[in-house]
Amino acid sequence: MPCRPLPRGDAMSPLLAVEDLSVSFVRGSLLDRLINPFPLPGFNVVDGVTLSLMPAETLGLVGESGSGKTTLARTILGLIRAAAGRIVFEGREVATPSDFRAMRRRSAMMFQDPVASLSPRLRVGTLLTEPQVIQGLPMPDRRAAAKALLALVGLPASFVDRFPHELSGGQARRVGVARALAMKPHLLLADEPTAGLDVSVQGDVLNLIGELKRELGFAAMIVTHNLAMIRHVSDRLAIMYLGRLVETGPTQEVFSAPLHPYTATLIRSEPFPDPRRRSHNPAVTGEIPSVFRRPAGCEFHTRCPLVQSRCKTEAPVYRPMGAGRMVRCHFPLQTGGQEREAVLRASANQRGN
Amino acid sequence: MSGSLAASGLSVRYETPHGSVQALRHVDIEAHPGEVIGIVGESGCGKSTLVTALANLLPANACIDGSIRYNGVDLTKLDAHRQRLLRGDEIALVGQDPMTAFNPVLTIGDQLVDFQHHRKDLSRAQKRARIAAMLGRVGIADAERRMQSYPHELSGGMRQRVAIAAALLTDPGLLIADEPTTALDVTMEAQIIHLLRELRREYNGIIIVVSHHLGVIAELCDRVYVMYAGEVVEGGEVDAIFHDPRHPYTQALLACDPARFHDRLDRLPTIPGSLPSLTQPPPGCVYAPRCDRAFAPCGSIAPPLTRLTACHAARCHAVTP
Repeated sequence: MPCRPLPRGDAMSPLLAVEDLSVSFVRGSLLDRLINPFPLPGFNVVDGVTLSLMPAETLGLVGESGSGKTTLARTILGLIRAAAGRIVFEGREVATPSDFRAMRRRSAMMFQDPVASLSPRLRVGTLLTEPQVIQGLPMPDRRAAAKALLALVGLPASFVDRFPHELSGGQARRVGVARALAMKPHLLLADEPTAGLDVSVQGDVLNLIGELKRELGFAAMIVTHNLAMIRHVSDRLAIMYLGRLVETGPTQEVFSAPLHPYTATLIRSEPFPDPRRRSHNPAVTGEIPSVFRRPAGCEFHTRCPLVQSRCKTEAPVYRPMGAGRMVRCHFPLQTGGQEREAVLRASANQRGN
Repeated sequence: MSGSLAASGLSVRYETPHGSVQALRHVDIEAHPGEVIGIVGESGCGKSTLVTALANLLPANACIDGSIRYNGVDLTKLDAHRQRLLRGDEIALVGQDPMTAFNPVLTIGDQLVDFQHHRKDLSRAQKRARIAAMLGRVGIADAERRMQSYPHELSGGMRQRVAIAAALLTDPGLLIADEPTTALDVTMEAQIIHLLRELRREYNGIIIVVSHHLGVIAELCDRVYVMYAGEVVEGGEVDAIFHDPRHPYTQALLACDPARFHDRLDRLPTIPGSLPSLTQPPPGCVYAPRCDRAFAPCGSIAPPLTRLTACHAARCHAVTP
C-alpha cells in the first residue's frame, strides 16, 4: 500500500508527529490466551503520547526506568507495533510495514548498549556499511565508504579491521554514531547515548553528535534519564511518567520553572556536585508504580508532594500552558522559583516527620 | 567494635598471560571511626581493586605489596580463616547491583538470618527480631511481611535498602558501599543518599563510598580520594577537593561534570586522550600524557605526594603548598 500523502503545511511543518500513540503489552502466556475466551485487557505501556519534532531540532525524552521512553522510541521506528494512534513522518502517515521500511531509510536508531548492538563476528568496516547493503544502495568501494564514515566520527581508518570487542566503550559509541549516520538520516533516535560512559568521554560523544547535527542538519530525539546532560544538548524536553507525557516545553524554561511537580522533583533529586549545597530531604518518596496497577486519577498522586483530593479521583488532561508548553496536572506550579522551592521543601518535611 | 583503617604503600598487581597489570600503585589512605570516605574516579582507575583489597576478596592471581592496617592488625598478613572471620563480622560490603546481591531461591528473612551466622549467642527468633528492627530502620514498611518475600518481589530501590540492612546487621566497623546508587533512578538515588546520611548519625564505624558520580560523593562524604590509573592523585576534605582542587586531573574531572553548569553549553568539556596502559604505566606522572600543564620532569620522574595542608595532599610536580 502506498503512503497516503497528507496535506503539507508551510516550511515549519514538523519532521515527525506522533498523535495519541499507545502501546500495550498483553499479559499472560500464549497458552493462556488460547484457552481463555475472554483475554485480559492489554496494559498501556505507552499511553496517548502526542509529540512533534521539527527539522534539525533536538528533543530530550526524559523519564525514570519503567516510564516507557525506550518503548516509545522503538515504536516510532516500527520495531514495536502501536495499539492506537498515528505516526506522521515528513508529512506522510506511517502505518504499514512497508511505510516503516521507507521511513527507516531516512531515520536511524542508536541502541542503548553500544557493544551489544554491534555484531561480535563482523569487523567494524562491515558493520558500518551494512545499512547501505541492506537498503540496496550502490557502493563501489565498501572499504572506502567505511573509512569515510570512521573519519566522520574521528576514528582512525585502521579501525575498519577491528572487531567490536577490541573497542573501548567510547569508541564503540562512536562506531554506533557512524553506523546510524551512514544513510544520512533526517532523524536520529538515540537511546541513552551516554549510559555507562565516564563523564570525560560522555562529553566527547555528545559534542560529536552536536557537531554532526550542525553539519548534516538532522533532527535528534535523545532518550535518557540523565538530566544534567540533557540540559546542555536539547532544545526541547518531554518528561514521561508511567507511559504518559506529563510535561513538554523548551529545555531552559522547563529547568528554570518546571510546571509539573514530577518535573520539579526530578530536578531537585539530582545530586549536585557541591558539598556546600547538600540537599536536606529527598524531594520525593516511594517508587514509580507498575503500569499494571496504574493509580486512579493522576498517576503521580501516590508520590506527589502537593497532592490534593481531586488528584486521587480525576485524571488531569494534557493541556497547553503558554508558549510551547504542555502539562498534565490539575495544579501546575506557577509561583516564582523561590516560592516553588519553599512549597516543595515544606511539603517534603511534612511527609518526612 | 571499630578501629581506624590505614593502607600504606599499597600496590596490587594482577598476573595475566599478557603480562602483569599494575592495577594499584603506592596507595595511601586512612580512615577513622565516624568518617565517611569517598573514593572517586573513572572506570579503570582501580577503585574496585582498592575496595576488593580492603575486603580481602582479591582473586588468586593478584599480588599485594604494602600493608592494610585495620584496628592494629595487618589484613594482608592474615591467614584465610582469620580473614573470613573478619569479613563476616567487621567488614561488610554493599554492592553495586541490588539485583544479584541475594540468592533468588531463599526468602529475604532466611538470608538475613544467615548473614548473622557469627552471632552464636542469639536464637533464631532473636535474629528475626533484629532483622525486623533493622528493616524498619532502613525505611522498609511492613518488615514482617517483607521477610517472607523473595528478592524478585522487591523493586531495585527496596533491594538496595535490604542490602544495606544486611550489611549493618553484623555491626561492622567498616562498611564499604561500592557504587551504591548507580543502578537506581534519580529519585531513588536521592532516597538512598538520604538513608545513608541518616544511618551514619547512629553508626560509629567507617563508611567508604566508592562512586564515579561526583554528586553522590559531594552529598555524602567527609573526605575524598581521587584516583586515576591506579594511583591516588589527590586526597583531602570534601570541601577542599570540590572548591580548591589542586591536581590537574581533579580539576579536569570536576570541569567535565555537566551538572555544574546551569546555562546551556554548546560544547561539553572533555579530557582529551585516553587512560595509559596499566601493563606499562608511564615512567613519570601517570596523568602527564593528558595533562595541559605538564613540563620537563613530568614525563620522567614520578611526582611525590605533596602535602598542601594537614589533610590535603596531591601527587603532582606543579603543586606547591
